[in-house]
Amino acid sequence: MVNSDGQLFTIEGVAAALIMLATVYIVVNSTSVYTHGDTHVNDMQLEVTGNDALRMMNIPENGSVNKSPLTEIVETDDGAAFYTSFNHILNNRTGTKPDTLQFLANVSYVRRDGTVNSTTLLDMSRPLYGGEHAVHISQWIIVDKKFPEADPGKHAALVEVLLWRD
Amino acid sequence: MARLTDDTAQWIVLMGFIVSFSLFFLAIILNQSTVVGQTTAEAVSEFPKEDIRGVRDVIIQSMFVDNEATFHNQSNVQNEIRSLSMSRQNAVVNFSDTTDPHGPQHYYYIHYNNGVTAYNETWTFP
Repeated sequence: MVNSDGQLFTIEGVAAALIMLATVYIVVNSTSVYTHGDTHVNDMQLEVTGNDALRMMNIPENGSVNKSPLTEIVETDDGAAFYTSFNHILNNRTGTKPDTLQFLANVSYVRRDGTVNSTTLLDMSRPLYGGEHAVHISQWIIVDKKFPEADPGKHAALVEVLLWRD
Repeated sequence: MARLTDDTAQWIVLMGFIVSFSLFFLAIILNQSTVVGQTTAEAVSEFPKEDIRGVRDVIIQSMFVDNEATFHNQSNVQNEIRSLSMSRQNAVVNFSDTTDPHGPQHYYYIHYNNGVTAYNETWTFP
């Protein structure tokens, strides 16, 4: 390599090799994103909708000191009323056809011995087959009720709802 | 490249570099944009906004529950709030009630911590 042309070619070759190596390095090191960018946006919206609906049910009638509808439903174990009311708030739309959100509801409370137990308030509106992408929402209530294996009097309870789009 | 003695040719090569670099950066931006929606939605889903609001509401409600001797309603309800949030919401919840000795104020200290998000509040009544 005594003439300068040859040196230039060599330098060019080295530069090209470095660029190619850098490219391979970047490609091999990059991770692929297998999920879509909007994967959890649906969940987030479903959670917000469900929380709003359940919160609406936990507000007493305007200007009254009565118990909220949700509290009354839990005190009387009225799963049918829960279905009617929650379904109405959740699935009614301004269009002609209602939405198709499915849900099931549990009530969690503390037993006399301090352990936590969950009872079914409303069984699933459609059988679960395992592929549902459900979100979990909850609402606190204070009920005057004797739960199984608990003392009478007022108790804190947590209404938990699983919600999924069918 | 070794024989680029001509000025115009050098400009063409330079422009080629500039264009390829800008394409490269655009590709990086496009690549990053796919994860933005996901991470945002995940962050929103993981932030326990409704849990905190719910437990705060029920704690304040529980402060006004009677505590007469037959049922001990208030202390029962308050203990149940603590154990229910621990077992069903994975959150440590604690609260206490202090009365101002020099005035009518009640101070309610509310603490919530689920390992990721912590929330502390002093609620004053009246």
